[in-house]
Amino acid sequence: MTTEIIASERVVEQEVKKTSNTLRFFRVFLARKTVVASLAIILIMIICAIFAPLIAPFDPYKQDYSQILSEPSLAHPFGTDLVGRDVLSRIIYGSQAALLVGIVSVAIASVIGIILGLFSGYVGGLIDAIIMRAMDALMAIPPIILAVVFVAAFGGGLTNVIITLGLSLVPTYARLMRGQVLAIRESDFIVAQELMGSTNLRNMIKHVLPNCISPLIVLITLNFGVAILAEAGLSFLGLGIVPPKAAWGSMINDGYKYLLSNPILSFAPGMAVVLVVVAFNIVGDALRDALDPRLKGTL
Amino acid sequence: MSHLLEVKNLQTHFTVDRNVVKAVDGVSYYVDEGEVVAVVGESGSGKSVTQYSGIQLIPTPPGKIVGGEVLFNGKNLLQLSGEELRQVRGGEIGVVFQEPMTSLNPVLTIGYQIIETIILHLKINKKDARKHAIELLKSVGIPDAEERIDYYPHQFSGGMRQRVCIAMARACNPKILIADEATTALDVTTQAQILEMLKDIVKETKTSIVLVTHNLGIVARYADRIYVMYAGEIVESGTTKEIFSSPKHPYTISLLNAIPRLDDPKGRQLIPIDGIPPSLINKRDICAFLPRCLHRTAACSFKPAPKLESVGGNHYTACHEDIKAEAILEVAAARAAVENSSTEIFHHRQLDNENLLEVKNLKMYFPVTKGIMKRKVADVKAVDDVSFFIKKGETLGLVGESGCGKTTIIRSILRMYEPTSGEVIFDGQNIAKMPKSKLRPIRKNISLVFQDPFSSLDPRQSAGSIVGEPLIIHQLTKTKQEYENRVNELFELVGLNPAWKNRVPHEFSGGQRQRIGIARALASNPSFIVCDEAISALDVSIQAQIINLLEDLQKKLGLTYLFVAHDLSVVRHISDRVVVMYLGKIVEVADWKSLYENPLHPYTKGLLAAVPIPDPFVEETRDHVMLEGEIPSVMNRPNGCAFINRCPMATKECSEVEPPLVETEEGHSVACIKVGKEVGL
Ligand SMILES: Nc1ncnc2c1ncn2[C@@H]1O[C@H](COP(=O)(O)OP(=O)(O)OP(=O)(O)O)[C@@H](O)[C@H]1O
Ligand code: SF4
Ligand code: SF4
Ligand SMILES: [Mg+2]
Repeated sequence: MTTEIIASERVVEQEVKKTSNTLRFFRVFLARKTVVASLAIILIMIICAIFAPLIAPFDPYKQDYSQILSEPSLAHPFGTDLVGRDVLSRIIYGSQAALLVGIVSVAIASVIGIILGLFSGYVGGLIDAIIMRAMDALMAIPPIILAVVFVAAFGGGLTNVIITLGLSLVPTYARLMRGQVLAIRESDFIVAQELMGSTNLRNMIKHVLPNCISPLIVLITLNFGVAILAEAGLSFLGLGIVPPKAAWGSMINDGYKYLLSNPILSFAPGMAVVLVVVAFNIVGDALRDALDPRLKGTL
Repeated sequence: MSHLLEVKNLQTHFTVDRNVVKAVDGVSYYVDEGEVVAVVGESGSGKSVTQYSGIQLIPTPPGKIVGGEVLFNGKNLLQLSGEELRQVRGGEIGVVFQEPMTSLNPVLTIGYQIIETIILHLKINKKDARKHAIELLKSVGIPDAEERIDYYPHQFSGGMRQRVCIAMARACNPKILIADEATTALDVTTQAQILEMLKDIVKETKTSIVLVTHNLGIVARYADRIYVMYAGEIVESGTTKEIFSSPKHPYTISLLNAIPRLDDPKGRQLIPIDGIPPSLINKRDICAFLPRCLHRTAACSFKPAPKLESVGGNHYTACHEDIKAEAILEVAAARAAVENSSTEIFHHRQLDNENLLEVKNLKMYFPVTKGIMKRKVADVKAVDDVSFFIKKGETLGLVGESGCGKTTIIRSILRMYEPTSGEVIFDGQNIAKMPKSKLRPIRKNISLVFQDPFSSLDPRQSAGSIVGEPLIIHQLTKTKQEYENRVNELFELVGLNPAWKNRVPHEFSGGQRQRIGIARALASNPSFIVCDEAISALDVSIQAQIINLLEDLQKKLGLTYLFVAHDLSVVRHISDRVVVMYLGKIVEVADWKSLYENPLHPYTKGLLAAVPIPDPFVEETRDHVMLEGEIPSVMNRPNGCAFINRCPMATKECSEVEPPLVETEEGHSVACIKVGKEVGL
């Protein structure tokens, strides 16, 4: 190479301390015990969902008429239901539906929402106006009503629940994304890109999107909880996953007729919903604290 | 003798990420009645924290005052709390901050805010308080104070807002006024007006002022005594004249060598201070300036940190060595000569006679719309009929107060705006109306260096990929290897270690980031570089590094610069020719020498008079004729000469014609009817 370091401009030797950012992130993120506990709950749920056949003590669909509505016992820690199925096993299998709904609907919502928000914010003008008005309209309909309409039109079942929830969550992503993009668009580094003659697509994907990741991660985490809760609600109303498939919402509904005599039937799946949803919320909040530089150092 | 304020061995620490930052590390100083004391030092040296510790304005946690006393009128302020503290803070000690908007509440009228303070501290009734408030506003030079007292902060200009803040800080006749970079964000002319006003306040009321600043010129012009801070410690103190005439501490000396002055001989080489200010985390007990010191000896690296010791009278310095200013200058000069033997010839470059850029009758109007139908009611003439040229290999400086259209010109040239009319001829082609698609290959030849080294680099990309981005966009390298080599080459060109390619921007210091920005600007091998306030966000000691870098690059690569800045000393140092703008028009163009030595336009004269020179002896002999008033908004541009309402030479004639830019001698043009007449045109 023919270059030489400009003499008076001696390379400034400096030990930039790599106070590893990852390290700081984990320190803030894991500062509270509740966060660790929440992560554990989420982990347990994921393991249950994946290894349900190995973990569940009974077949969740096997009806045992000799064991109808039995009290909690060693064999059946949460008792059995109306047709003698083991409640614990059904809860374990129910985590599959919950997780599936959470992941797929959030994936649908975030992918569509992020793309719409990105274009809306970056391109602006008429496209922005059209997209955002559509989002407003979608947002004006409460998800449950949307679901009722959707299920009425296309029937219930897992797929439709996922699509409905996915659609109803789209506006949140589009709006968050658009707000972020509008702010980042103004930064000098985007101006620099434009002055180099870079294309819009390149700027959006390489420079805008990576800078929006933190709030998106937080929103995605929080939305897992929202989706799981909504799925339980829909199934409870009978609009979601239909029995005999194991779903926490429909289990609460099943058990709720025996609330006085056999409260564990509703209580156990209810607890599962609450624990998981709260866990996602706590983790989401902790992520926000750890990722948001404004809060850095205060913990 | 007891002092009005005496700080003894103050220690303030911050806990950041479980590390202790010794922001103020054993600082002692005093302030007497009626004096102007300056605290100077680079960003992060602890100037502000020192001042705010005394009045307990630092956030706790993470901050903690771990030791020392702050005696004010005999009381230890550190032991006060509640009502007593409030009486002192904002009562007997007033503070003016850098950003007026942060200390004014935007939803309340300024009158309400001032009256509130007055009632709180002076316990008088509302009517008297209002009267007092109006008097205060008058005393800080707010015209029509009776009416404007009911205005909201946003109805004032930046300079006026700062005046309001000063009025508020003075509400309760404070004994001490702390001005923390109070004029840094303002234009030179406004800055001079406000500082003159503060000086008058000191004279009239015997208030003491603590000027916290990094601007050595201001210090030389206004301060009686100086404290130089470095890394949380005071390294030198004395009277202004002592410090400037016989600086003792290597840091002070280096600072004085690093800044350009308005009265420099041209071609004087700035001697930058190598390295960056130290981190205050885990400070060790040795001289903090050691890594950057040109005069260090082996002993310095193991002796405990030097303490302040008198070098005669009230002049103290904290250094193990006995250093003469001349000695250190010699060391620096010798070093610079060895390392930089090619840099003697500065502005004696042979310039081509060819124009690289020619701007002809450029106009940039922004429509002002009204109502929901967006009906156009007027034009904001941000740039109005501007013509100038830049020769190949030359540096053209562009100066003027904020709002005069500097940025708009740049943006129109770079086609970030679509110019309303006019031509921008770059390398023979008119790019003003060229379709965007055709513009792309031309972009390769023009680059921009931004003001803010923080927001101009994508925080998520590595330094290497930021610098390499233009190579990819313009497909300048064919193979991966070629790309890597070119990026390495660019890193070395701007004095960065190529091994740092994988770091992200926040792992670099401000000056290093600016180097990354410059490397990116150079990547596509442009012939023309626009520097938009490229050094004004940097620390004084770093500014010299970047100025030298830009000059070296120009010599090596034959670059042409358009250098936009508000710092007239820097522009003088770097430019071959200078354009002065006022309200969207050029008022004077000349080569640097005629412009600085023989300014013709009254505005240029006013600007130059407002720039303080970092030398108290020179300052003594200068008469401070202040440019009155402020730049009007482009919306209500006066008829005739736009400068008329501030011009000391204005007569009725001036309101009748718009003075054209006429050449009075070769290469020197002025837009003022009076000047034209003087030379008989
Ligand atoms: N709230 C805070 N939390 C943590 N550290 C802080 C805080 N405020 C100041 N510091 C640290 O204290 C040190 C001194 O800061 P200070 O603001 O006094 O510098 P300064 O000389 O006033 O700089 P500037 O010229 O930028 O105003 C710096 O290292 C800074 O990082
Ligand atoms: S003590 Fe040594 S290293 Fe520190 S400033 Fe003095 S000469 Fe330089
Ligand atoms: S034309 Fe008149 S008002 Fe304008 S600068 Fe000259 S003397 Fe002043
Ligand atoms: Mg400060």
